[in-house]
Amino acid sequence: MDTETGGEKERPRDDEIQAFHNQIRAADAEKLEFVGDKEPLSVLEDEYKAGSAVFLAKLQILKENYGSIRRARGDGNCFFRSFMFSYLEHLIVTQDEAEIARVEKSIEICKQTLIDLGHAEFTFEDFLGIFVEQLQSVIQGKETSISLDTLVERCRDQYVSNYVVMFFRFVTSGEIRRRAEFFEPFIQGMSNMSVVQFCRSSVEPMGEESDHVHITALSDALGVPVRVVYLDQSGDINDKPVTVNNHDFIPEGMDTSVDPYVILLYRPGHYDILYRRENPANVEPTILEQKN
Amino acid sequence: MAEEKYNMKNPAVKRILQEVKEMQNNPIADYMSLPLEDNIFEWHFAIRGPSDSEFEGGIYHGRIQLPPEYPFKPPAFMLLTPNGRFETQTKICLSISQHHPEHWQPSWSVRTALVALIAFMPTKPDGALGSLDYTKEERRALAIKSRLSAPKFGNTERQALIDEIHQAMIKTLPPVPELPPANVDSAEPVEDDDEDDEECEETLVAEEPDRDAVVENVHEVNVNANAGPLSVSFSAGFRSATRAQAVDAADTQPQHRLHADHAHPAQAGTGPGTTAQVRPVVQQPPSDSTLTILAIALTIAILALIIKKLMRSQGMPAGMPESMPPKL
Repeated sequence: MDTETGGEKERPRDDEIQAFHNQIRAADAEKLEFVGDKEPLSVLEDEYKAGSAVFLAKLQILKENYGSIRRARGDGNCFFRSFMFSYLEHLIVTQDEAEIARVEKSIEICKQTLIDLGHAEFTFEDFLGIFVEQLQSVIQGKETSISLDTLVERCRDQYVSNYVVMFFRFVTSGEIRRRAEFFEPFIQGMSNMSVVQFCRSSVEPMGEESDHVHITALSDALGVPVRVVYLDQSGDINDKPVTVNNHDFIPEGMDTSVDPYVILLYRPGHYDILYRRENPANVEPTILEQKN
Repeated sequence: MAEEKYNMKNPAVKRILQEVKEMQNNPIADYMSLPLEDNIFEWHFAIRGPSDSEFEGGIYHGRIQLPPEYPFKPPAFMLLTPNGRFETQTKICLSISQHHPEHWQPSWSVRTALVALIAFMPTKPDGALGSLDYTKEERRALAIKSRLSAPKFGNTERQALIDEIHQAMIKTLPPVPELPPANVDSAEPVEDDDEDDEECEETLVAEEPDRDAVVENVHEVNVNANAGPLSVSFSAGFRSATRAQAVDAADTQPQHRLHADHAHPAQAGTGPGTTAQVRPVVQQPPSDSTLTILAIALTIAILALIIKKLMRSQGMPAGMPESMPPKL
C-alpha cells in the first residue's frame, strides 16, 4: 500500500516539474521568436510526416480553409501573444477605426473593473498604456502609424510583448472575478481552486498556460470574437471520417455568425496563429509582410 | 526627485516612479519606504512589528533591490535590524505565491511585499533558510533595542535616509508591551547554520531527495492591506519542507495532525496542492477498519493526482474537444 510519502517519491515534485518546464521553455526561447514568420500550412505536413495518421488527415481538411500559420513561442504565454498579434494584424489589415473605438471603450470598462476589484492603478496602467499605444498605431496615415513589419517587430520585442501579455492577464483575471459565479463551475471542473485562487495562480502570473476559461474571459471582456481550431489526436482514422473541431468564442451580444477576428490553431498544450486561405483578389501588396 | 535623471526608456523606471509617488501620497503607519536619491532601484524601508506578537513595538529596517526587469522579476528584500525571525543582511526567502513558490507576480508592488513581510514575521520559520527561531523573550528584547537607534549601514547619504525613516516611524510607534508572565518560553534560540544567501529551503531539499521522504507543509497568510484609496488583497504562501521519516499510512495521519497543530493560528489553510498531506483527517486514534478505508481513499486520491498531473503535462485537460465545455 502506498503511503503519501511513498507516492511523493515516484511522482516528481511540483517544483521539479516547474524547473523542468522552465528548462524546456528556455531552450524553446532560443529557437523561436515570440511570434514567428508567416509560414505555409504545408510546413506542418513536413513536421508530422512520420507522425500520426489522424494528424495528417486533419491537416488535409485544415488546408481546405486555412492557408498559413504563424507560430508563437511555447513559453506559456502563447495564447496571449497569438491573440495580441492576430488582433492587431486584423486591425492593420481592415483599418477598422470603429472597432478600435469600440475596443477602447471595452478597455475603459476593464480598467474600472480592476479598480473595483481593488487593484492599484499603477500596477496595471503601464501595461494598459502599451496596448492602447499599439491600437492607436495600427491606423495608417498618422505620424505614429506602423507597418505590418513594425508590428511583427514590436510583438517580438520583450518589453512591448510582455507588457501587452500582462495587460491581457489583468483583463482576463478581472473578467473572471467580475463574473465569478459564471466561471466558478468551469474552474472547479478543472481544479479544486476557488475563483480567486485560480486567478492568482493560473491567470495573473506570466507563463501560466491558458485554456477555455481564459479565452472566454478575454474574448468577452474585450468583445473580440476568437476561433480555436483543434489539431489533435481525437477521432479514429479507421472508424469514421475524421473531422476537425472548431470552437468559436463569440462575446455576449455579438451576432453568432460573425467571422472571428482572431483564429488560433490549437495543438495539445499550444496555440499558434492560423490564417484563412487568401482569396487572391484580396491580396494587397502593401499589407503583405516582406520577408527578408 | 527629478524624473529626467533616469532613463525613461527603461519601462521599469516609470513604474517605480509611480510607486514612489503612490507610496508618498498614501502613507501608512505600519511601514515606510523610500528609494535612494541617486538610484530608484534601491530602496530603504522600515516596518512596524505586527501587533499581538513578540515583535510589537519594534521597528525593523531593511533594504529592497529592484531588478531592471521590475515588475516582471521580484524585488529582493533584506533586513538590517536584528529581529530574531530573519537573518540580517541576508536575502529573505519570501516566496509570495502559493502555486509556484518562486513565482512573483507583476501585479504586485513594493507595498504588497512589505505587507507580506509584516504578515510573515510571526509565522514559524520551519527551518527555512535565512530564518531564525529565537524565543519570544529574545525577540522582545530585540524589539526594545530596535527602537533606540537605526542600524548603521552604507555611506552617509544612505545612513541619512535610514535615519529619516527611523525618525518618521518612531513618532507614532506604540511601546513594546509588557511581557505577560504566562508566555514564558524556555526554549533556547535556534539558529539555522546551513543558510545560504541565494537558495531557499525547497531548492536544497530538491538536491538531496534520497535522504528522507519529504512532507511539504505550506503555510498561507492572507493579507488585506487597506492603504488609503489603495486596497491590496492577496495571499502569500510561505513554503518550507519538513523532513519526516517514511512511515506507513497509519502513522502518517497523526503526524500530519501534529504539523497542522503547529501552524500559527494566522496561517489558516494550506496550499491546494498539499491539502491531502496536511489536512487533519482524524481526531481520534482511528480503528483498524477506519484505517483501511482511509488508506484506500488515500490511494485513490494519490492516483487521481498523478493522473491529473500526467494529463496536465501532456496538455490534455482543456484541449481535448471531447472534454470541452460547451460555449461558456
